[in-house]
Amino acid sequence: MNPYASVKAKIEKIIPETSGIKTFVVRPEKPFSFKCGQFAELLVPGVGEGPFAPSSPYYQPELLEFTIQNAGYMTSRLHAMKEGDAVGVRGPYGNGFSLEQFHGHDVLLVIGGVGFPPARALLHGLLHDRNKFGRVIMCYGARSPEDIVYKYQIDDLKKKIEFSVTVDKANGSWNGNVGVVTTLIDKIKLDLAKTMAVVIGPPIMMKFGTLKLMETGFKPDKIILSMERKMYCGIGQCRHCMIDHYFICKDGPVFSYAQLQDLQDIWE
Amino acid sequence: MVAEKYYIDKSQWESIARDWLKQHEIIAPQQETGGLFFQPVHRGNLHSVVYHLARSVQPLKTFLLPPLEEVVGHPVEMKKPWLFLGVKACDLQALPILAQAFGGDFADAAFQKRLQDSVIISCDCTEPWDTCFCTMVGGKPYPEKGYDLNLIRVSDGFVVEVGSLRGKGLLEGHESMLKDVLKEDKMNIEQSRSEIEKRVIAQNAKYPVKGILRELVGSRWESPAWSEHAKTCVECGACNHACPTCHCYFLDDVTRKAFVKLRGWDSCMYSGYAVTAGGGTPRPALVERFRNRYFCKFKYLPENYGQLGCTGCGRCIEGCQGQIDMRSTLKDLSGS
Repeated sequence: MNPYASVKAKIEKIIPETSGIKTFVVRPEKPFSFKCGQFAELLVPGVGEGPFAPSSPYYQPELLEFTIQNAGYMTSRLHAMKEGDAVGVRGPYGNGFSLEQFHGHDVLLVIGGVGFPPARALLHGLLHDRNKFGRVIMCYGARSPEDIVYKYQIDDLKKKIEFSVTVDKANGSWNGNVGVVTTLIDKIKLDLAKTMAVVIGPPIMMKFGTLKLMETGFKPDKIILSMERKMYCGIGQCRHCMIDHYFICKDGPVFSYAQLQDLQDIWE
Repeated sequence: MVAEKYYIDKSQWESIARDWLKQHEIIAPQQETGGLFFQPVHRGNLHSVVYHLARSVQPLKTFLLPPLEEVVGHPVEMKKPWLFLGVKACDLQALPILAQAFGGDFADAAFQKRLQDSVIISCDCTEPWDTCFCTMVGGKPYPEKGYDLNLIRVSDGFVVEVGSLRGKGLLEGHESMLKDVLKEDKMNIEQSRSEIEKRVIAQNAKYPVKGILRELVGSRWESPAWSEHAKTCVECGACNHACPTCHCYFLDDVTRKAFVKLRGWDSCMYSGYAVTAGGGTPRPALVERFRNRYFCKFKYLPENYGQLGCTGCGRCIEGCQGQIDMRSTLKDLSGS
């Protein structure tokens, strides 16, 4: 098996999320079994690849969803593709979340921007086995109301979990929370002894999210982070994603803050 | 039964090597303008293979891990197994790192095949370059393991050390040319090895480094030495490309006759090295990238693969446009 080769996949559906974000529903020729929090290298043939965590349920390996921001060369070409076009996937890579770790715990998700897709995969995992976990709480921050993804699912989500959302910058029609995502944490009553936190988002948000959780009284081993860096291979060879001696692609992307807190340069 | 060490006369050695040409593509150092370069060997240039001196300009990865290769498409294949002749200890030291980096669960089969099928015939160093510092990083100017055969020049021939079953197999059928090693030669070898090692130590005495390198570098995240030594760096990447252990790569998907995926040598000194789609990078400043290279060599690679990422070959010093000398950086780190 060539570790650099992809499995062919077809774009079945494209769901526009925001002006710069789309969800691609992709059917690989072979089922793509993965754990939530693991990622795939999604290939635009002849153009490039990028590491993306499927946001779809892990128990649905035949149909994957990737929610992707138009942010660079490869993603701009992906955004120009149509339903029916061929892409490729290889993986799954990385360790993924350990759902067992959350058993018997309340789970607090602190999520920023396009950290929502991997968080959604985790939510699928938590909700699939709902009675194994305590409260599921999600604090989600987006830049503006227009940048909120999965709007069409949020009402449903609110019925299943404690969900709150805030935006950095509001506009006329927004009457919800305004402020960075960490401001939501203060509004929640937490039982710290039985709560685990998960932080996913852009580097700056992850930094302040984590520091806020520490300030709130979380122990470093109760803070779970899904890290991100430049990646080519996804398989622990090319070394672009290193944080200290850790390969984010292989040893991560999921780390506890206890693993990282003493290392240099962990926030980009 | 083949024993451990033999003496072979130089002319007879060449007749054995000529025989190997039938089954192998021999690659060995040849003297050219600018230094010793690994070159393909044929009957016509076998006599000019350089067995002595020190390491060649290129590291072995130039062959085993080509600068640009189709990893999806047509990876580089050997027509005949490669036989590297005249490999020095500092290059042997690098191979376990490459083997591990491209092994494991996601092994690169094409690379592993090239590595496993390659015959390695090493040589003792006889004339260290002034950039050589293997002894500073725990190495020696002669190979101790990792070779199929090792050659040591003595009077009119070589003492051949057998390092593997494959090495032993190479000598089969040539038993008549193998002679016992004279006691005198054994003593000479011991003496000359010790002399050359002392020379490497002596030429690096001006770079005193206290303590264990791994701990030293690991404890110097903040040091004035970083900006001081990064001052003349022009970010050309020569240190990475000349290094026998550096193996960072980029992947590039391109359309040739079909879609192919290329793998090419990257350089952690380039400003774009770790830049993500959003434009962020963990090491925007040159001095941060400079420091990262040392941390990689002396802290991260040891943690990943159990040995220092530096073999003391000195190619990064030789290739540097800014005359940056790793030994001098280490010395200043040690003093700071």
